[in-house]
Amino acid sequence: MASNVFLPDKAESGTPPGGSLASRLGVRVARAVGVSFWVMVIAFGLIRLAPGDPVIARLGAEAEPAAIERLRRELRLDVDVFTQFYEYFTSLLRGDLGRSIENGRLVTEIIMTSLPATLWIIAATILLSLVVSVPLALRMAVARGAATAYVFRATTSVFLAVPTFFTALIGLIVLGVHWRVAPVIGYVNDFPANLAYVWLPALVVSTQLVPILSRVLYGSIKETLAEEFVETGVVRGIGRARFQWVYVLRPSLAPSIVLLSYMVGVMIGSTVIIETIFSLPGIGRALVGAVIGRDYPVVQGCVLLFGLFVVAVNLLGDLIANWLDPRVGLT
Amino acid sequence: MTAVVRDEGAGVGATREGLVGIWVGCLMLAAMLLAGVLVPWFSAYHPNELVARPFGAPSAAHPFGTDQLGRDVFTRVFAAVYRDLGVAFAGVTLPLVIGTMVGVALATVRNRAVLAVANSLIEAINAMPLLVIAIALISVFGPGLTSIVIILAMTNWARYARIAQTRAKIVAQLGYIEAARLQGYPRHRIFLRHFLPNISAETVAYALSDVILVIMLISGLSFLGLGATPPTAEWGVMMSEGRPFVQNAWWMTIFPGLALCWAGISLSFLAEGLHRREQAVA
Repeated sequence: MASNVFLPDKAESGTPPGGSLASRLGVRVARAVGVSFWVMVIAFGLIRLAPGDPVIARLGAEAEPAAIERLRRELRLDVDVFTQFYEYFTSLLRGDLGRSIENGRLVTEIIMTSLPATLWIIAATILLSLVVSVPLALRMAVARGAATAYVFRATTSVFLAVPTFFTALIGLIVLGVHWRVAPVIGYVNDFPANLAYVWLPALVVSTQLVPILSRVLYGSIKETLAEEFVETGVVRGIGRARFQWVYVLRPSLAPSIVLLSYMVGVMIGSTVIIETIFSLPGIGRALVGAVIGRDYPVVQGCVLLFGLFVVAVNLLGDLIANWLDPRVGLT
Repeated sequence: MTAVVRDEGAGVGATREGLVGIWVGCLMLAAMLLAGVLVPWFSAYHPNELVARPFGAPSAAHPFGTDQLGRDVFTRVFAAVYRDLGVAFAGVTLPLVIGTMVGVALATVRNRAVLAVANSLIEAINAMPLLVIAIALISVFGPGLTSIVIILAMTNWARYARIAQTRAKIVAQLGYIEAARLQGYPRHRIFLRHFLPNISAETVAYALSDVILVIMLISGLSFLGLGATPPTAEWGVMMSEGRPFVQNAWWMTIFPGLALCWAGISLSFLAEGLHRREQAVA
């Protein structure tokens, strides 16, 4: 199944679980901490990687030397890189991400105001995708006949290859402009009024998530169906619904949860484009705006936040999967 | 690679498995590559030439209509084939080579501290959403297709390194490596003829589906104004140019979008077919 080809790191099983649960938990959390450290280093290193001078890149080569000096001091680029990292690290521990060069707002404040819209889209996407994928995968997996499987695979292959920004534009034309069932632009920042603005973007991202999710789920349900305890369930004469939803589904969910946590990172990538298309005031649009304006502290803050968020979600996904099916290793 | 998904369908009668996907994918891809040569070659118009009234609807003279400047969308869509696919090819090949090398090198490292640090760095790079890190790096390198290839080489190698490392550990223990060693082959021959091909088989398989993601990344960044820039004929750029006029001049956006989908779907079928075939044979 091609879907796992998209997932090189999650697809590799680690060493079989050894040691007590507590020690395995400890190792997994320690790994997440190590990865978070590198995420911090990457976010820090990004703007310092520039072959030229980021300050000149922002101000232009003809800028006054005084202005260049001032901005350099403001960004603390006038001290050596180790001092810079020390200051960055310590202010990070205090929860200080610096200020925007563009408008002087605190980066944390920018992030806090734009985070809700993004989280709403992601949450709605996950919910929508689960509601579609779980019954779909279950139906496909218990269906007999090669034709069903064939159509399922071909359809998901097609959906996987359609970029979300194309789907978004089509959705906008058809649902927003022609049928007028979705707002074309804007956002209201409170629940449940925001759902009117969130559902179409969530639907669009789901067109990518549902194929991946249902494929992995389909694969693991097939695998579960081949196991002996399932036969036991059949022999004992358990009702069809209870059999499918309880016996088959729960042990099949673990790989999908791991996948889902991994996909959150990919989804964040799509929300960046989706937010721009739908003019949603999310963190992705903040990032794109900051990149166009070369607002380095904001870029750095967004990258850090996205990275840490993905690391945290991956950790959570592994923990849930391990709880659902202890055979799934934590490391 | 099958810890997450193991598939049914191997075994009896599985020899034709995946062939349809491979054929359909290849034909679709070949058709597109051919059109990418023929259409700009035989077209009466240059991709950047103003040839008709702006916003002309699709007609016999302009099958995909004309854009806001009066350029022929049909010519532009096909002039972009080699730009998009070529950049994607470069953007996949560089990380593939770098990552495979790094992964193989890491598999020989015995020092656990070095390994832990390297693997943690690789995992951190992989944890970063590719589009996010690419966008952030664009703020450093500036927009452009070359920037995208550099950025991909800087970040995407980590995925290949991960695959190659795991695979290298497995291959190193397999019988044919042992057999080659016992035959007294020199080390470099074992490495080049026996070791590397068996590792790169896996990374190349991943690369094939990665091309789809990379094409989407290139066109997505261009769509945001961070990749190729106007007047370049590139699908993402054309879609972003068409976006303000999408209600009245839908053809400006839809046709480049369909070309993008066509490329993605052909590669998707191909990757899927090859993957199923490989599983059926194994």
